Amino acid sequence: MLKLESINVRFGGLAALQDVSLLVDSEDMVGLVGPNGAGKTTLFNVISGLVRPTGGRVLFNNIDVLRKPLYARARMGIGRTFQIPQPMHELTVRENLLVAQRFGTGSVNQSKIDEILDFVRLSDKSDRNAATELALTELKALEVAKALAIQPKLLLLDEVLSGLETAGKRQFMQMLSDLHWRFDVGILIIEHDIETISSVCKRVCVLNFGKLIADGTADAVFKDPEVIKSYTGESGA
Amino acid sequence: MKIRFLLPVLAVVYLAIPYLWGGNNYVMSLLVAAFIIAGVALAWALLANLGGMVSFGHSAFFGVGAYLSALLCINYRLPVLAGILMGGIGAAVASIAMLPALRLRGPYFALAVLAYANIFKILAMEFKGITEGAAGVTNIPALPTVMGFDFSSKLGTYLVIVTIVLLFTGSYHLIRVSHYGAALKAMHDSEDATRVVGVNSTLLKAMMLFVSAFMTGVVGAVNAHYINFIDPDYAFDLGWTLLPMVAVVFGGYRTLMGPLVGAVGIFMLDQLVFKALIGTGHQIMLGAVLAVMVLFSPDGLVPLIGDKWKRIRRAQA
Amino acid sequence: MFDLILQATYSGLLSGGSYALIALGLALVFGTMRVINLAHGEFVLLAAYIAYTVESQMDWNPLLALPISVVVVCITAAIVYLLVTRLDKNREMNSLILTFGLGVILTNLVLFIWKADIHSTSVGWFQEAVVLGPLYSMRSELLFFITSVVMVAILWVWLDKSWYGRAVRAVSSNRDAAKLMGINPHVTELISFLIAGILASFSGVALYCASVIQPALGNALTIKAFIITILAGIGSIPGVLIGAVLLGVSEALTITLLSSALQELTGMLLLLFVLLALPNGLFGRAGRRG
Ligand SMILES: Nc1ncnc2c1ncn2[C@@H]1O[C@H](COP(=O)(O)OP(=O)(O)OP(=O)(O)O)[C@@H](O)[C@H]1O
Ligand SMILES: [Mg+2]
Repeated sequence: MLKLESINVRFGGLAALQDVSLLVDSEDMVGLVGPNGAGKTTLFNVISGLVRPTGGRVLFNNIDVLRKPLYARARMGIGRTFQIPQPMHELTVRENLLVAQRFGTGSVNQSKIDEILDFVRLSDKSDRNAATELALTELKALEVAKALAIQPKLLLLDEVLSGLETAGKRQFMQMLSDLHWRFDVGILIIEHDIETISSVCKRVCVLNFGKLIADGTADAVFKDPEVIKSYTGESGA
Repeated sequence: MKIRFLLPVLAVVYLAIPYLWGGNNYVMSLLVAAFIIAGVALAWALLANLGGMVSFGHSAFFGVGAYLSALLCINYRLPVLAGILMGGIGAAVASIAMLPALRLRGPYFALAVLAYANIFKILAMEFKGITEGAAGVTNIPALPTVMGFDFSSKLGTYLVIVTIVLLFTGSYHLIRVSHYGAALKAMHDSEDATRVVGVNSTLLKAMMLFVSAFMTGVVGAVNAHYINFIDPDYAFDLGWTLLPMVAVVFGGYRTLMGPLVGAVGIFMLDQLVFKALIGTGHQIMLGAVLAVMVLFSPDGLVPLIGDKWKRIRRAQA
Repeated sequence: MFDLILQATYSGLLSGGSYALIALGLALVFGTMRVINLAHGEFVLLAAYIAYTVESQMDWNPLLALPISVVVVCITAAIVYLLVTRLDKNREMNSLILTFGLGVILTNLVLFIWKADIHSTSVGWFQEAVVLGPLYSMRSELLFFITSVVMVAILWVWLDKSWYGRAVRAVSSNRDAAKLMGINPHVTELISFLIAGILASFSGVALYCASVIQPALGNALTIKAFIITILAGIGSIPGVLIGAVLLGVSEALTITLLSSALQELTGMLLLLFVLLALPNGLFGRAGRRG
């Protein structure tokens, strides 16, 4: 479904991504790990259209989407969350989903919104102001909900678990493993914590200094010496 | 702001005011002028509040509407009402020229639009074959007489402009409560978040620019048929931007009523108080109002009062 | 024809030089504070009217008005600065509206005190011709140009060498880093407003000696100054000089080759072109406008 062909991104002198190629299928749930500043978020930005790569191609269902603007990619079915939650200001939780659904899918379906709200456990918060009246866990849940509201075929989740306390995290992980089949969506998920990622994803990719250094089953990847080195040697994360 | 509010407003506007002052040409002409400003102020506020764009160039739309309607009615004998509509459409079409400026950030957009407004004025001066240049367009047909009622009279024009302004207010309200309104609201502080869920933010902003330009053009056209004479210096005067801007900053651009109350309030203050007290240079007070409001209550006076009112009511409850 | 073009280029060069003096103050404030002071043209206007008063009331040479102008305009500039710093929310946009309002106040103050009449100096010396080969100009124009170039040069060297200049550059490129280096950005900003005031005083007095003044002029001067500032891009003094000359020469050529009514159009088109096509102006550092 998603095919990245040797993506390169430079910010001035910094090579944020170098020759990254990746395939994600519609049944996949792929973990993307790597130390701070490895380029994980940048990769999401390239896929969703916030950053234009200096080289390479992004194919979504065999269509080259590089020239397509953000909103068009969203309408094609690429949904994403932000590492730092970005609720739509001045709107309630429900209105956030409504806008996402109306513009992402072209029509409004209240029962679908109720279903999503229920799934991310925000039903009783639906009339809260999204930007000012939510706790962190709820903001993260709203990020996922907004992305789901556009009926995505591919979901890009950027560290939705980080910063949560243990109980919230466990709940969220349960939710994530359900996401996949409940909403019939392929998932690419960024996560720092190796244990977390191996418990939800069978397949894991590792980015380090902008390069994709491993791609395989979680077990195999985390035994790879180069991966271990990147985690212990350089960033200590 | 619902029906409870609307009926008294309608009663005052359509019954009480005509009944009390309908025969008084002085009061009526003041009100017509005030509502002309109110119409532009509303359009300006729509662009600022929904589109998030501060414009220094609304005089461009005002002038294009005035000229287009006047010339179509004179040269092609278009009925005046059709001319006014065309004036609005023409202004919206003219705003297409400003689309490239949409990707500029706030202050740069404001200044770019000011440049456009100046360019439009110069063009009106220079295309003498069409616009008569600096000499101006005279004998612009007046508003028609319909079923024996003379709409070119002060009272008639008052009813026309008030109706237009109320229709615009209604449209503004409908846009604001629609999904488009919600998306536009969200775009201000979280544009990326809005775009990644499928909102074409540039298109929405462009639409607000068209709507605002259309409204301003219509008002400019009505004004042209009301005073029957325009020249580039008048029709494209920066004052058509300044006064509505002061009105909006005074009344508050977040609310529907703010621009209207602000426009009528500021215009009356300017004409009845400032002009009488100061004479030449009375616009100094407009500058002062603008400065003071931006410094002390950037959201305007009406929200200020609204907040107080809410607090009082909450205290009583 | 060639002679005409040559003369137009020369006149354009001279007026461009004088535009540079007017624009530099605006550019400096814009560089340090990212505030476009829409009242800047009115500073110049105020100085010009003080020169007029000194000449008409006291019968002195208008050049002697300089000290008074500097004092009055700098006080005005300091007031504008203090008001601008009071803005907390959305300063970039609100300062535009605020200074626009202050400009309206100043224009109308001038109108109130001096009325709407047009004035120019009656000192004949200024209007005498200076002929340089095929080129012709008035003494006052040449004087304005020379003053302008000298002041721009002084400011350039000073900004390059002095402690203050370094502070300005530090503040305009990174405010927070400058604070860490022990620079008080408020002082730097106030100084740039005061320098803008001094430059405006010189411009105003020179303007009165070289041409005619009227209250509505302030606005037109501000527009020219910000066209030049945008042309130059953020933080480039030679950029201001070149941008000003570019504007002056294009205007003069437009007048000679097309029509004097189109003079203003040239500047506007230049402005739009740079705004829309050159994100950093002609010479500026990168600064986001989109
Ligand atoms: N818009 C940008 N301009 C310049 N540099 C950028 C930009 N976005 C990211 N970078 C740089 O690119 C590198 C990769 O950043 P990125 O955000 O993709 O890392 P990450 O893997 O998501 O890290 P983290 O785990 O901290 O979220 C970093 O060095 C970052 O500073
Ligand atoms: Mg990241």
